[in-house]
Formats: sequence, structure tokens, C-alpha cells
Amino acid sequence: MLLVVTYSRAARTTLRNVRRTHESAVVRELGRAALFEETELGAFLALRLRAKHGDDVQIERTRPFNEFAAVRKEVRDAAEAYENRETASTPYDKFAAGTDHPDPDAMRGTDL
Amino acid sequence: MRVIVDGRTYEGRAVDLTETDVSAAAVVESVSTADPPIRVDCPAPGDAHEHVRRLPPETFDRRAALAAAAQALGHTSPARAALKDAQSELADLSAPPVDVDAARRRVAETGETEKRLRERVAELRGRLQARRETGADTTAVRAQLNEATSRLAEAETERIAAEQALERAETVARDARDHRERRLELEDRVANREREVRRDLAAAVWGQFRAALRSVPGTAAAGSTPGTYDGDRVTAALAVARLAPLDAPVVIDGLDRIDGADAAASILEAPVIYTG
Repeated sequence: MLLVVTYSRAARTTLRNVRRTHESAVVRELGRAALFEETELGAFLALRLRAKHGDDVQIERTRPFNEFAAVRKEVRDAAEAYENRETASTPYDKFAAGTDHPDPDAMRGTDL
Repeated sequence: MRVIVDGRTYEGRAVDLTETDVSAAAVVESVSTADPPIRVDCPAPGDAHEHVRRLPPETFDRRAALAAAAQALGHTSPARAALKDAQSELADLSAPPVDVDAARRRVAETGETEKRLRERVAELRGRLQARRETGADTTAVRAQLNEATSRLAEAETERIAAEQALERAETVARDARDHRERRLELEDRVANREREVRRDLAAAVWGQFRAALRSVPGTAAAGSTPGTYDGDRVTAALAVARLAPLDAPVVIDGLDRIDGADAAASILEAPVIYTG
């Protein structure tokens, strides 16, 4: 999908108008952003916004996130385990220390 | 106030121009522009005048008009300081350009070139193989393949460099967007504070507005809570014109419920130019 994010009041207003008039091309509305369907019409609407508001419009192309293909098991397990921790106040780095769960710094430095 | 139309001078707080050919629009314009169609000598109009310069008004923002009137009467809002702060912070904020277009275009172009050369290499390899199988001369094809292969290597290097440049540009762009995001937050804050100031100011003269409604022609009811108004915009505009301290004249045109310049000036407690 195409993620369109606006960075000014004027651009945000235009985005709202586009969402209203082209509902079918809009997959999701997120405040000052929107997800457009990945069609030529979606691209046309996004580019029109950028033509009008320049740098106040950011367009990104998204793809579905498949954690089973993109993320190693240790990270997935750690997320699950941390959410099931006994003490809600334990920060993750403390939780992970001395266990097999990945270290937050190591995760930060590793691209998917 | 003094108005001169076709060499004739009209003076006083209530000027009647019904006998002239002057349009209301021309009079309204003459009250506030430097190079007016007719000559109107009067004090410069303030912000409140803007809302009621012509009655009935084409559009009327009641809260904004009340706020302007309140301000003219010397009222202020506790939110004004915060509004000033937000405005000056916004004015100081620069929004650097994002500038990723060129880098993006280069990635697309180098990628396209690389793809084309890759196809060319594959095609030449196929041709070379075919010639070998039939025992034909391969010299020329081999030379072409060598050239294409080395050009492909160059294109690949170019594409990788372009991708790295795009990545760097994106990092810079992220910073620029942080600035823009901050600017948007400030723009929103300014708008919210402005609304707050308008609401405070309008509330400050709500009692006067209710009293003025009882003194102007028209049916309208306003509750004791600021903002609770039930009536038409013309009546609201008349009440605002009455309560606002107006030095510049209000132009009355096609308002059936007020008959004549003098009546208008006395109801609105303001200088009036009456065009019919």
C-alpha cells in the first residue's frame, strides 16, 4: 500500500478532502496520514498531494509484515515471553539479562 | 463623517445615499481602501468593523465578530500569552527542504540501466552458446559479450552507489521531517490558542450581546451560557454592530427591518451610510 503522511495543516486538509472524494482508493485513515491502495489511482492521488504541498507530503510504499519470514524465532519468543512476564514493572533489559532472550542493543543493531 | 458623491457633500453620523446611484459595494470598499471609488472621510476601521461593515452581511462568524468587538472594548484572554509564545516559536522554526527526489530518480534510472544490460548479457550468452553448438564463428559475439559484461559491472556499481546516496538522503530527510512535524504541532497549538482566545473574548461580552439583541429588530434568543444562540445571522450581526465601538461607518443596504439612515444610526449606535 501507499502510506501518505502530511506535515502541514494545509496538506492535512487536502488529504482529508481526497479521502472524502476518493473513498474507494483509501484503505485506511490515520489522522494526518492515510493508506492508499496500491493502484495507479492511489499513486496519482498521492502524487497530486505532493505536487500541491511539496515536502509537506511523504509517500512510502508499504508491504505486509510477515514475522515468520522476516524475524528470527528468538525475537518473536522474547516478545511473547516479555508480555507474559510476572512483574509488569520489569523493563525488558532486566528481563532479558541472564536468559536466552536477545539483548536490546543487539536487536537495535540488527536489520531485518 | 463626510461623504462626497458627484460633487455633493453629505455630513453627519447618518448619511443617506438612497437618492444616488452609488452601490453598497462601492461604499463598503470606500470605507477601507486607499484608492476608493467615492470619497468617505472617516476614522480608519478596526477589526470589529470588518465583521459588520455591510448589513446584512454576506457571511457572519458570530464568535469571531464577538471576539473582535470584545477586544475593541478592551477585553483580553488569559490564553493570549500562550498564543503569543506559540506564534513566536512557530515564526522561529525553519523547515529545511526534504530533497530526496533526485536521489530517488537516480536509483530508478541506474536500476533500469542495470536491468537492460543484464538482459543483454543473457541474450548474448544464449547466442554464443548457440553458435558454439553449431560450430559457427564466435569471435564477434564474444567481443560483444565482453563489452556488455563490463558495462553491466559498471552499471551495478552505479546502482549500488545510487542506493547508498538515497539512503543517506533519506536519513537527512527524516531530520527535516522532524522539523516539519514540530512545525505542524505548533501550527495546531496556535490554532487551538486562537480558538481559546476567541471563546474567552466572545464570552466576555456575552451579556452585552444578549442586551443588544433586545434592542435590535429581529427575533433571536440567546441563553445565559455563551454560545447558546437561536436566531438568524442578520439579528446577531445587528447586535454585534450595536455593542462594538465603531468609528467607521456601517453600510446598510437592503435591510427591510430598519427604515432609514437615522433609525439605523440610533439602533446600532454607530455611524451609518444608508444606501436603501
